[in-house]
Parts: sequence; structure tokens; C-alpha cells
Amino acid sequence: MTMVNITMNGQKISAPAGSNILQAAKQVGIDIPTLCDHPALVSIGACRICVVEVTGQRTLITACTFPITEGMEIQTESPQVVKARKLILDLLFSERNHYCPMCQMSGDCELQNLGYRYGIDHWIYPTYTKGFPVDASRKYFFMDHNRCVLCGRCERACGDLVANHTLGLRNRGASSMIHADANVPFGESTCISCGSCLQVCPTGALCDKRSAYMGRNIQTEHIKSTCNQCSIGCGMEIVTRGGNVLRIESDWDAEINAGLLCKNGRFDPLYEDRTRVTQPMIRIGGKLRPSSWDETLKTIAEKISGTNAKEIGVLTSSNSTNEALYLLGQLFCKELKATNVGLLNSAAPKLFDKPQGSLADIVKSDVILVAGTDPAKDQPVASFFVKHAVDRGAKLILVGGKDNGLAPFATMILADIGKAVEVAERAGSPVVLYGAGITEKGASALKKLQGKAAFVAIEPGVNTRAAVAFGFNNGFKASAAKVLYALLGEQGLESADVLKDVDKKAFVVVQASYVSPITEKADVVLPMAIWSERAGSLTNTEGRVQKVSKAVEPAGEAKSDWEIISLLANKLGKKLATSLDEISARATQELK
Amino acid sequence: MAKVKVATDWLAGCAGCHMSLLDIDERVVKLLELVEITSSPVTDLKHPPKEGVTVGILEGAICNTHNVEVAKQMRERCQILIAVGDCATFGGVPAMRNLCGTDAALKRAYIDAEPVVDGFIPDSPELGKPLEMVTGIGEVVKVDLFIPGCPPRADAFWYALTELLAGRTPIILPPHLFTYD
Repeated sequence: MTMVNITMNGQKISAPAGSNILQAAKQVGIDIPTLCDHPALVSIGACRICVVEVTGQRTLITACTFPITEGMEIQTESPQVVKARKLILDLLFSERNHYCPMCQMSGDCELQNLGYRYGIDHWIYPTYTKGFPVDASRKYFFMDHNRCVLCGRCERACGDLVANHTLGLRNRGASSMIHADANVPFGESTCISCGSCLQVCPTGALCDKRSAYMGRNIQTEHIKSTCNQCSIGCGMEIVTRGGNVLRIESDWDAEINAGLLCKNGRFDPLYEDRTRVTQPMIRIGGKLRPSSWDETLKTIAEKISGTNAKEIGVLTSSNSTNEALYLLGQLFCKELKATNVGLLNSAAPKLFDKPQGSLADIVKSDVILVAGTDPAKDQPVASFFVKHAVDRGAKLILVGGKDNGLAPFATMILADIGKAVEVAERAGSPVVLYGAGITEKGASALKKLQGKAAFVAIEPGVNTRAAVAFGFNNGFKASAAKVLYALLGEQGLESADVLKDVDKKAFVVVQASYVSPITEKADVVLPMAIWSERAGSLTNTEGRVQKVSKAVEPAGEAKSDWEIISLLANKLGKKLATSLDEISARATQELK
Repeated sequence: MAKVKVATDWLAGCAGCHMSLLDIDERVVKLLELVEITSSPVTDLKHPPKEGVTVGILEGAICNTHNVEVAKQMRERCQILIAVGDCATFGGVPAMRNLCGTDAALKRAYIDAEPVVDGFIPDSPELGKPLEMVTGIGEVVKVDLFIPGCPPRADAFWYALTELLAGRTPIILPPHLFTYD
């Protein structure tokens, strides 16, 4: 790497060629303030707050857009620079009403911090009196235009990062406003509520409805984890305070999503309103009664020990950790020799033995073939990658109907997968995204592209890939089970219709986080920790094993999914690994 | 040594800043050993003496012609003028009126308000005339020190006064007294 030598505030610095002044400063810990600039976004030099003095330059210049050159001498806090920054802040504060109780509570406002940093203790320009509307038509976060500084971060996040292009600017000068589509309320626009704009907003203009007023930012803890809402496995940060989850933020350093999250991952888990199962329960005299873990596990162990392996049924949700699925496989399939095991959701067919591509291939491709999957609905972050590629000129060929969420972006929508393959064959670097919806015929048609295209299976469910690897897939016969162990976890009932066929006399054990019609009918209910309360790992649709972290304590007596199975194995006298590290290591080994 | 004379007054405010000044607690005893409060809204004498004071403290926004008179008189009669609180520095809560305009605000309060019967907008000659725009004090008179906050911390008052007594004029308060997040 070619290095360029510069002097900043008298300090000699070497930074890679092509860096701008801001990047060079960051490298050595010199803090140049920014408002419109964001590390994940393209620099536009609009707000001017990052101006610095460069010897030989006619005027002050923006650090975020100016590349460094050999021998450059830069002053980042000279009297002239400070004066200019104060002027910019005075002008910013003179536009719109910046009274914002949210930021005073959270201390998480970049504009406010700059006001403090440069001692803006009064306004030198007359107060701007025009009132702007507040748009709270979105469920999860609102926009107060009175606090907006028109930095355009939200607009760039929406267009450049998420490739959704909902946000734009309308009007001119002081009347400029961020708007959605052709100026419709956000809630009625093409906004998909992914919250990327919310996360990059430097002021209180975009504010999370749920976590506003829930404490100062410095009192919160940010725990890196992996999203468990779909099979993409985005990196995220669980923000907690005093043992409560406040909100979910994306992890800018995450390899897969690089700071993107979707509505399903960022907001939905926090708006869960189902009742939790908080203690073990056993049915006695026709009624579920609270019991101790020891007693409950003993009851299950006795029942299982006295049952023929053929009559044991195991059904699991794919929303379980690698560790839980590994132990479930070890205990029931290997030790107890049960064969009637299954998964609550279907899985994408296995086309090849070796991986033929990764999610990162999507943005690099020129033709994207999507078949048997609707990522815009089920794996939105994957759909962002697709839309991103389409923005860059890639052609999207959709096999299926117009009801697919990606249909508005498709170059062609074909019913016949064979024709789609023919088109993809003519491309330079095609990528195929396929899900559980493709038929056997479709699968064999896709195989024609082997060697030419990158293939990425978009698994339905969450940890489906690990579940399949540990032997849980189709093939479960509900009617054959006399004892059924259902690892329901957080999964809702709508996908558990399979239990309808279970023998009325069967002994049903349900390991679940939420009360549902199934837990009501069960003979034993085991309370399970949810996504924020468990540690372990998940395997994403590419086969990447990623850690999930425990951010808060489980509700009531709930335990992690894997811990419950580990305890049950112990009660059954089966010697399986007991520590999380050991189970993780073994599970990861088997997944390779 | 003669005591330093200090006068305070309030304009369109809520008295909260004066309450915050009193929140310096037992330090008020030490303060009164060094300064004489010549006049304030909470003492018998309301107007700063003609012969002048060293420090004038004003709370509240400029809302009407009366506020302008009070601010100008204080400016004439003090050497160092301190604007305290968000109303005096930025306009604060009273400045919300600017978003709808003075006429609309008066009409809403005195005529259209739900409990009002036969309402009218007070226009007695002894009342100050409402201004078109509510502003901080700095729009009307020169201010030497701004102490924002709603209200400013008692420690901010204490810091500013003790600095002045020590012969130093703070231009901007140190960050820990200035920040409110």
C-alpha cells in the first residue's frame, strides 16, 4: 500500500494513499466533527462542519471529501476553523426549532454534542419560526422535521445502503424537507421500516418510539449478537439497560450485512406480545400444574425410558441454536435411536455437495435468478443485496408470480424455470438464489448452471441448515408418535399444524417460550429462553457459524434451548457434553 | 471591602431559574457575605437601584414591550448582564408562540379556549404590548454571559458568581456545567 505523509496539528502521520483528511485523522485519534458524513455512507461534504485549514489552500476545506497529498499540512482546530464551525452551528440552529427533549435524555445527538463542544450557549441569529410537521405514521419510529438538519444521511442510507430509494428531498433552501416517494406519509410509502435511516440520523429527527426516554446512551450496554429472525444471520447489537432490552441496532462491522438490518430483525422481536412460559409444568389430573425442573425432567425421562424408540417422535423448530439441535440429534437419534424426527419448516433442496457461492456474490453479479423463494418478505436483507445489484445494472430474473416481493424490481418474470436458466446461461457472472419452493424438475434445471453461476440457497426458517445437518428434515409422522418431544421454541403456531395428527393419547412434551394452543394441550411444558436470553451459535444459509450472545437473564425459570436438552440427557443417564463451549465445539465440528 | 451589588429580575419566565439560584443551598450564606442583593422579584425592592449594580441577572424571554423596558433598564443599571435559562438565552417555552404567531396565540388563549365565555384579549394600557416574535434577551440588549439550561444548574450559578467575585468573567461555562444530556 502506498503511504502518504502529512502533518496534522503538528503531528506527523502516514496514511494510505486515497484516504481523505477525515480518515487520516481518525486513524490517529484526531477528532474532526461530522454531521452529514458517516463511515458507511458516501461522503458528500454538505454540512461543512468538518472543515479544516490546509496550508496553501485558498479557503477552509471539508475533511470528509478532500484526499490527502504528500506533505500536506492540516490544522483541525485552529481559531479560523473553530470560528467557521461555530458559524455553521449557529446557522444550523437558526433553522427550525431544535428543542428536543429526547436528546437531552439520551445524550445521543451529534448536533447537541457539537453545540456543547463549541459552546453554543445562545443564538446569534433570529429564531426561525416556521413550524414543520411530525410524521408518526410508521409503527416503530417517527420523524420530527423540526429537528432535521437536512444532512441527507437517511436519504443515502435508504438509497445507497438498502437500495430502497424511498427517501428524497423536496423544496429548496430552508423549506427543504426529507420526504417519502411523491410526498406521502412514511407509513403509506414504499418504506419497508428497516430502520437504517433511524440508525444513521445524527439528531433526534428520527426517533425510535420504543426506546426514546429509556435512559442515557452511556448507561446502555451494546452486546454483539446474531439476528435469529431468518437464515441470513445478520450481525446485530442488542442494546440493554439494567437487564432490559431497549432496542436492536445493526453491527457496522458485521461481515454479512455490514450494518443493514430489516424490520423483522430490528423491530419485530421487541414488539412480541405473546405470554411467556416461565416455569416447568406437568399435567396432573387433567390440568397443567407448576413443577420443579428436577421433577419435570424426571417425569419426561421416565416416560421416554419406557417407550419403544419407534414410538418416540421429535419435532423441532429451526429457531434453535446449533447446540440445541446437535444435542437433540445426539440424544434422540444417536442415543435413543429414534427415527421419527422432523423439522417444523421445509428446507431448500440440496443441489450440490460443496458450497457454490455466498451472499457476497449477489452484488457482484450481472444476472440474478431467483426461484422458489421470496426474500423481500422472508429474508429482507438478502433482497437488499439483490436490489443493490439491480441498481448497479444487474438483471433480475424471477421465477414465479407477481406476488413475489421482488417482482417490482424484476427485469423478467417467468413461469418456466428452464427459460430462466437459458437466460442466465448467457450472462457473465450469474447468481442463483433458490429456496424451498423449487421443484425437483426446477432443481435439475438449475444444475445446468453449475460451474457458470454462483448458487446461494435461501433457507426458510432460521437455523434450518444446521437442523438438516443434524438429521432433522421432512419425514416426521405425527400419527406414529406415542411420546412426542416438540422443541417449539419461539415459533408461532401457524407453522405447527402438523401436531393436529398427533395421537390424542400421546404424551406430548413441549419446550417453548410462549403460551400457545399447543402448550395448553401438552402433558409437560418446559420454559425456554428467547433470542436475547441465550448464548450459543447459529448457522446461516451459507453455512457460516456465528455466535449469539446472552444479553439479559431468562424470564422466570426459563433455560436456554440447549441447556434443557442437556439436563434431560443427564436425567436419562446419557453422557453428552455439558458445557456450552464443549457442545459448541462439537456442533461446529459436525457442521463442517 | 464593600459588598458587590447584584440585582435580578424576571421577564417571560416561570421563576424556575430563580428557584435554581436558591438551590445553591447553604452556599447562599457565604454568597450573602460577599454580595448584596439590591433588588429581585422575591425581595421588597423590585427595580435595580438608579446608582447601578455590578451584576444584573435576567430570567425569561422577551415577549412584550414591558419585557423590553425591564431588560433595557437592567442593562443601563448594571455592569455585567447575565441571561439565565433557556428562555433568556433562546426564547424557550414562550417562543413556542412563534410557531403559530402572536395573534393566533392570543385568540386561542383568551377567546377560543374551551372554558372561556364572552372572552376578549386584554388590552389595558398598563399592560405591555405583546411582540410579534418572542426572543432571547440578546436580541434586545447586549448580554455578557449566557447560562442556558431549563433551569440552569445551581452549580452553574455558583460557578458564574464566584468567578465574577474572583475578578474573572467567564465567557462560556465549563462543559460539566453547560451540558444537559
